[in-house]
Amino acid sequence: MKFAPSLFEVRDLNFTHGENEILKTVNLTILEGEYCAIIGPNGGGKTTLIRLLMGLEKPTSGTIKLFGTDQSKFREWHRIGYVPQRSALVDATFPATVREVVAMGRYARRGILGFESPKDVSAIEESMAQMGVSDLRDRLIGHLSGGQRQRVMIARALASHPKVLIVDEPNTGVDVESQHRFYDLLRVLNKTKGIAILFITHDVGVIAEDISKLFFVNQTLLLSQTPQEMLRCDSMSRLYGTPAHVVSHNH
Amino acid sequence: MLEMLNYPFMQRAFIAGLMIALLAAMSGSFIVLRRYSLLSETLAHVSLVGVSVGILFGLSPLWMAVVASLIASWLIEYLRSVHGMYSDSVLAIFLSGSLALAIVIVSLSGSFNASLFSYLFGSILSVSNDDLIIMGLFGSLSMALLILFFKELYFIAFDEEVARTSGIRVSLLNFMLVSIIAVIIALSIRVVGTLLIGALMVIPPVAAIRFGMGFFSTTLLSIAIALVCVVAGLSLSFFFSLPSGAAIVLCLLVAFIFAMVVNKR
Repeated sequence: MKFAPSLFEVRDLNFTHGENEILKTVNLTILEGEYCAIIGPNGGGKTTLIRLLMGLEKPTSGTIKLFGTDQSKFREWHRIGYVPQRSALVDATFPATVREVVAMGRYARRGILGFESPKDVSAIEESMAQMGVSDLRDRLIGHLSGGQRQRVMIARALASHPKVLIVDEPNTGVDVESQHRFYDLLRVLNKTKGIAILFITHDVGVIAEDISKLFFVNQTLLLSQTPQEMLRCDSMSRLYGTPAHVVSHNH
Repeated sequence: MLEMLNYPFMQRAFIAGLMIALLAAMSGSFIVLRRYSLLSETLAHVSLVGVSVGILFGLSPLWMAVVASLIASWLIEYLRSVHGMYSDSVLAIFLSGSLALAIVIVSLSGSFNASLFSYLFGSILSVSNDDLIIMGLFGSLSMALLILFFKELYFIAFDEEVARTSGIRVSLLNFMLVSIIAVIIALSIRVVGTLLIGALMVIPPVAAIRFGMGFFSTTLLSIAIALVCVVAGLSLSFFFSLPSGAAIVLCLLVAFIFAMVVNKR
């Protein structure tokens, strides 16, 4: 029997801000190639959990391992593609073309004075093509629609050839039709490229049945289960702390 | 018109002015995009403290300006990044505080003399050979660092958080950028003056951004605007006996208005 290597391993994670306990005793593991989602109510600590994983916040206690290495010693950040919340909200006049934004995904790999190598160029072109933004290459990022910008940000993350892609609240500033296309794209990346996906949402309506793991976060990691188990009234009631009735419908 | 270049003081003013234009426009792009434009104005006021100390104690005002500006830039960045203070509040404190300190030191020296006036508004007569050597040394170092870390600084200006998570040493580069800006401002005071250097850093990038191009093209245009305006400003200063800093800033304003008119949106 072959086991997939773990990309993220979180043990007994606690995070407090002043007197407020934001996250307590969180344990989770994400394996290579998994397609995962974190759901929970607003203010439940979902984004904080991601910021802790990405080293943007320091845990009060507990351990985080990235690709089997303790986070403090981890240096291969290009293996993790990160698209934060509201990243698609760009100032309309910011002087950055789509090509320049996607190229940023290669910067950490180029080093000091590193000029764009043929490998960089092909990674940039490939990720733009994957996300369908090649035709927009010379447009200013601030002149695009919310959905187009979202795809450019994912292309930037993909340019570094990550093993895992983390997307925080991808629906911010994006219309409903673009949201569905966006989740389809994430699924394709997971299935065809084998990139593990971890996305955050507070919208249970976007949870598909082919998700490997669902993490319910509301101060603590309440549940970690499959979509079928999650979409039961008792699970939802436990997560949101109020009686819930699940009504399913087809998109 | 080119006869002005027969005068050694004008040759020195042009060399210094073009060097400053190049450095100010390039570094200015980063601070403008980070909504940190007042940093240049604040450090210019701080460098006035260094100049005052230099005049009071008979030390090199230029060196003193470099030291004062560097120390203030580190303090500002420390308060902003480590203590999480609002950038504009920190800058406001340093701006008014340093001006107050400079005025007190000048009062102690007994007079508000002509030498200080030239530091406030710039003077083409004041650039010495020693100044050029100091400017060449620090200017080259600053330019080398800006070129070496150009792409990282751009990434940070666009999205500091993602730059950090992609492995770029954001805190270190932020300190480096404010240090470079502090040095450029201190070096600029001979030609542009402490009260006007902020314009040379901010107006060229702001005017260039109006043309709606990518970052690389915007930076090149910004540098071109700064170079043309410095040449025009120094020439006006020579022919009409105007303070060089004021003449340069007026040329920059014309360039900005032109950019606004051409790119109406």
